[in-house]
Amino acid sequence: MDLKKAQTDPILDPNQSNYVYHLALDIGGSLAKVVYFTKDDDHFVDGEEGLSHRKALEKSNGSRQYPVLNGRLNFKKFETSKINDCVEFIKSMKLHFGGSQRQAIPGSQPIAVKATGGGAYKYADLFKERLGIILDKEDEMDCLVAGANFLLEVVHQEAFTYMGDQKQFVQIDQNDLYPYLLVNIGSGVGMIKVEGEGKFERVSGTSIGGGTFWGLGKLLTDCKSFDELLDLSYRGNNRAVDMLVGDIYGGMDYSKIGLSSTAIASSFGKAISDNREREDYKPEDIARSLLRMISNNIGQISYLNALRFGLKRIFFGGFFIRRHPFTMDTLSVAVNFWSKGEAKAMFLRHEGFLGAVGAFMSSDKHGLKELLANQVVQRTPSKLSFAVDKIIHGQPDGDESIECSVYAA
Amino acid sequence: MAGSLEKEQQVVGIIEGEKLESGEGDRDMAPAAGNSIHRSGSRPQLDVSKAEIQGNVEEKYPTILLPNQSDDLSHLALDIGGSLIKLVYFSRHENQSADDKRKKSVKERLGISNGNRRSFPILGGRLHFVKFETRKINECLDFIHSKQLHCGGLESRYPDVSDQNGIIKATGGGAYKYADLFKERLGVSLDKEDEMDCLVAGANFLLKAIRHEAFTHMEGQKEFVQIDPNDLFPYLLVNIGSGVSMIKVDGDGKFERISGTNVGGGTYWGLGRLLTKCKSFDELLELSQKGDNRTMDMLVGDIYGGLDYSKIGLSASTIASSFGKTISEKKELEDYRPEDISLSLLRMISYNIGQIAYLNALRFRLKRIFFGGFFIRGHAYTMDTISFAVHFWSKGEAQAMFLRHEGFLGALGAFMSYEKHGLDDLMVHQLVERFPMGAPYTGGKIHGPPLGDLNEKISWMEKFLQKGTEITAPVPTTPLAGTTGLGGFEVPLSKGNTLRSDASALNVGVLHLVPTLEVFPLLADPKLYDPNTIDLSDHSELEYWFTILSEHLPDLVDKAVASEGGTDDAIRRGAAFARAFSAHLARLREEPAAYGKLGLANLLEMREECLREFQFVDAYRSIKQRENEASLAVLPDLLVELDSMDEETRLLTLIEGVLAANIFDWGSRACVDLYHKGTIIEIYRMSRNKMQRPWRVDDFDVFKGRMLGTRDKKMPRHKRALLFVDNSGADIVLGMLPLARELLRRGTEVVLVANSLPALNDVTAMELPDIVAEAAKHCDILRRAAEAGGLLVDAMINTSDSSKQNSSSVPLMVVENGCGSPCIDLRQVSSELAAAAKVADLVILEGMGRALHTNLNAQFKCDALKLAMVKNQRLAEKLIKGKIYDCICKYEPAN
Repeated sequence: MDLKKAQTDPILDPNQSNYVYHLALDIGGSLAKVVYFTKDDDHFVDGEEGLSHRKALEKSNGSRQYPVLNGRLNFKKFETSKINDCVEFIKSMKLHFGGSQRQAIPGSQPIAVKATGGGAYKYADLFKERLGIILDKEDEMDCLVAGANFLLEVVHQEAFTYMGDQKQFVQIDQNDLYPYLLVNIGSGVGMIKVEGEGKFERVSGTSIGGGTFWGLGKLLTDCKSFDELLDLSYRGNNRAVDMLVGDIYGGMDYSKIGLSSTAIASSFGKAISDNREREDYKPEDIARSLLRMISNNIGQISYLNALRFGLKRIFFGGFFIRRHPFTMDTLSVAVNFWSKGEAKAMFLRHEGFLGAVGAFMSSDKHGLKELLANQVVQRTPSKLSFAVDKIIHGQPDGDESIECSVYAA
Repeated sequence: MAGSLEKEQQVVGIIEGEKLESGEGDRDMAPAAGNSIHRSGSRPQLDVSKAEIQGNVEEKYPTILLPNQSDDLSHLALDIGGSLIKLVYFSRHENQSADDKRKKSVKERLGISNGNRRSFPILGGRLHFVKFETRKINECLDFIHSKQLHCGGLESRYPDVSDQNGIIKATGGGAYKYADLFKERLGVSLDKEDEMDCLVAGANFLLKAIRHEAFTHMEGQKEFVQIDPNDLFPYLLVNIGSGVSMIKVDGDGKFERISGTNVGGGTYWGLGRLLTKCKSFDELLELSQKGDNRTMDMLVGDIYGGLDYSKIGLSASTIASSFGKTISEKKELEDYRPEDISLSLLRMISYNIGQIAYLNALRFRLKRIFFGGFFIRGHAYTMDTISFAVHFWSKGEAQAMFLRHEGFLGALGAFMSYEKHGLDDLMVHQLVERFPMGAPYTGGKIHGPPLGDLNEKISWMEKFLQKGTEITAPVPTTPLAGTTGLGGFEVPLSKGNTLRSDASALNVGVLHLVPTLEVFPLLADPKLYDPNTIDLSDHSELEYWFTILSEHLPDLVDKAVASEGGTDDAIRRGAAFARAFSAHLARLREEPAAYGKLGLANLLEMREECLREFQFVDAYRSIKQRENEASLAVLPDLLVELDSMDEETRLLTLIEGVLAANIFDWGSRACVDLYHKGTIIEIYRMSRNKMQRPWRVDDFDVFKGRMLGTRDKKMPRHKRALLFVDNSGADIVLGMLPLARELLRRGTEVVLVANSLPALNDVTAMELPDIVAEAAKHCDILRRAAEAGGLLVDAMINTSDSSKQNSSSVPLMVVENGCGSPCIDLRQVSSELAAAAKVADLVILEGMGRALHTNLNAQFKCDALKLAMVKNQRLAEKLIKGKIYDCICKYEPAN
């Protein structure tokens, strides 16, 4: 069945809602993440992509599953403090009228949308009132783990290491994925031991997370956004603010215990000087010191927990990382330092969207199923699965989408 | 990268140390004329002459300096930090007891000689803990100079070598920075010791040597933890300076830095300074007391709309993200309260340290975690937060512990690095911690020139009265009820309205090293032994005893003043004593754990110590003398009466007599009132006649069975009995001496165990020989036994010959018990007593102090008889569900 012919409207036209069949939300303390599926019939498939696409199709022909749909998983985020933007976006996209229900039918049952994160509770009324949709709350951690498991199992080259500016993708054998430690760095940090599909436990966490970075950063600098603060940190030098081992030992290493002179002895430990006020420090340096402090700490606590439970892999996710090289580098260095090189920090390409993807996957995907039932297979498939074909990057740090095939069983 | 190691010295300008520290300096008091026992007192006293208040007395924490002492030998070690200089120095004492005749003969008798001990005897002395601010380093140098601490050690005897080639062990960053200054001013070189070595050595010493060094701090409640020195290792030592070092300690000199974090005290102070206008670490800490972190931190409840995330055990007030709330608000830094910022910071950092420490303890399977370093500073809230974190993450399986001397770890460690520091093989029972007069008031900081003499010290007490009362006024630290949920991020409860580091901190006293102290060898299990019968952690109990002691104070002062002739000087000293002791009481009322775990015995001993500090050598001297004379006068009649009885009646009458005579007790208010109603012998007879059996606790028949046997079974006599005596006068003369005489008559050696130093009207070991000699004039049994025991030395031409000739009698001996308190802690008794106990098979404890307040529940390896009249209504109700003047005759045969 050629689905390409069935739809012709361009994807990027927000006024056209035809392509949106399914939506899930993750409303955190700082950011609201939206994952939604658009059908992808009209995208040109150039040679290479088409090849891989076809390959994927061929590969799956052997199985009992069959590809039923090509489309995109789209990722979008908003600051939670600007939750109205998110509401407006959904409204404009008419995302919530997914599937065959192109038009809201007055008086009909309100549409339920899967949502996770604390905001799913907090903003439930807002969504009901403004969009007429009911947020169907999914457990945060369930979603997080489901999202990570999905991405690690399905998306080729989802995990990577990052050390000294070197990004290296790690091929993970699906059969050897578990158990692993999932460190989700949102406003706070949750550390979850994952042993399989639906099998996991929150083993630790810390309150020093992304919210701390941004919160303290906002108080200490004039930054207006998290990203601005991150950019600042990239240009800073923590030596001006942090007390280093060398500062204590007159420039020497404290080799007796294996500390180099550049190791941080005390974050912000140099800021205690009597005659320097906040204005006398460069915001860049402050941002950098802050970032290092927090990354370092998360890396250390993560490693100690991985060690405790004998977990060989640590995946870091959550919006704090933001694919920011310096953040990843610091986390990697911390894990490397504390494990004496025995453990490596790994990152996920879709790190900020674990919860939203999980919520998306946890749903029964009515919109898609209805679409398929109506247009494709003439019957409602019992199960859908996805195969990822290609990741399409949007703006740096912006939204992106994954091209994928949907299989029905 | 992440590592940090750092101690407080790197944090410049942080500490305005107002932490209490003991008053300074001391030495044996000048002995009273002809009173040789004081020179051999096993717990030496403070020399307060030339004591002086330092600096401005209007200051909140003026300091006392007592410079007028000649420390015979001394060692000094320094920890020079960025903000504080900590000094630890040891002053030694000569062994002055060699020519004490009584002791000499006891030693011969008991087979003790120095030869049995070390060839180089360990000398007693005191370990002092003193602080100076680093920016006032000159005061520190003056202090060292005035005490000649820098030319300590044996060299001080040879002036030509002193001041030259002197070496002082030092650690901390300042050991480098100020090396030249020390060389220039004092002519000494600082020998730099590794910080971490010192830290660990200091911690090991404290944990092994001081019984109540470690404590837990949960929800504002301190609880001392007694650690078996043999089961100390391994442990985790977390030193929170600018950064945090985590050290696994496996033994003396065996340790490894296993972890740390760069988020430490420097981070708190550094971020705090950037975020608030605070000028000092203390100011920042103080702000936190009034803070509310909910304005800064994103709580679980903020995310879940006020709901708990109960699935993973997070309550609504759990912090989800430190400072996370500030990101969603359109507020500038200036819009936030500095108090809230400080609190949020403090919690973030404390919690994080607790978590990482626990994870490391877990990793290395370390069961104990000790936290120290300047960041803590006895700050209740900080300790609570760390404790919460450890408790939370370990699900209650691990506990954070803290050290009372935490600020002195480095200095102590440096001290231990001397090859001969005099503290080798130190045992916990050889240390007695004393809190001199200034302890409740001063921060132990020393500055300014020294005071002149005792007079000036007294004037200081006078001037200080107002300030002191103000300072020691209680601060409400009562925990709020029921606000703690699951989360380790809950708001800890111990928040006073103001930060008072001296209020939340624990006092550090002077450690008296008394090498002659030993554990009483007849204790069934020294590890399980707790001297105190009354648990003063019960608040009402504490209040009761504070009231009792306060009420008794004026009478005691009158006695003390009278004992010194009632001169103006004595009156002033009496007033000063009253203030000092009241200050101790106020301090302990406010913080019962201030001086370590508080027991009634400690309180009673502290009162005696305090009297001695103001040179009241023996407040009851004349009373004791008068009562001894009066009692001795009626003794012959009593002995005749006793001798006319059959054995069984006599034994009962003797025990009745001990109980009856125990009514003569100046420590009991009720008894003091009785004194106005009759003469000694009248009261004694009246009292004895009232001794109707059965007594409230009455094991007399069992005791009698052991002593006299039954018709079928004859019991062997005891080989040696130790009689712990109580009061002077009728108590000893008409009660215990006749009992001793009976034992002697039965062929049992008798050792009278009496106080080394005066306490109330208790008879002392020094007074006993005279009393025995006087009694022996009327009694052949006593005379021969006393001669055999070498007690009548003055009456004889050749002691040793006489004692041999008279060896037909079993000996009556006197030993000192090693203390100067109305109670006795049998973990710390004189070596004489310990030696005498080796062959003893009967212990008789008499009187409230030794048989009730302490040791009522003590278990012994040998037969034990505890005799006392309960002269306090509350005690009678509490301990024996009886009433005042009920008697206890508790006999426990050896197992």
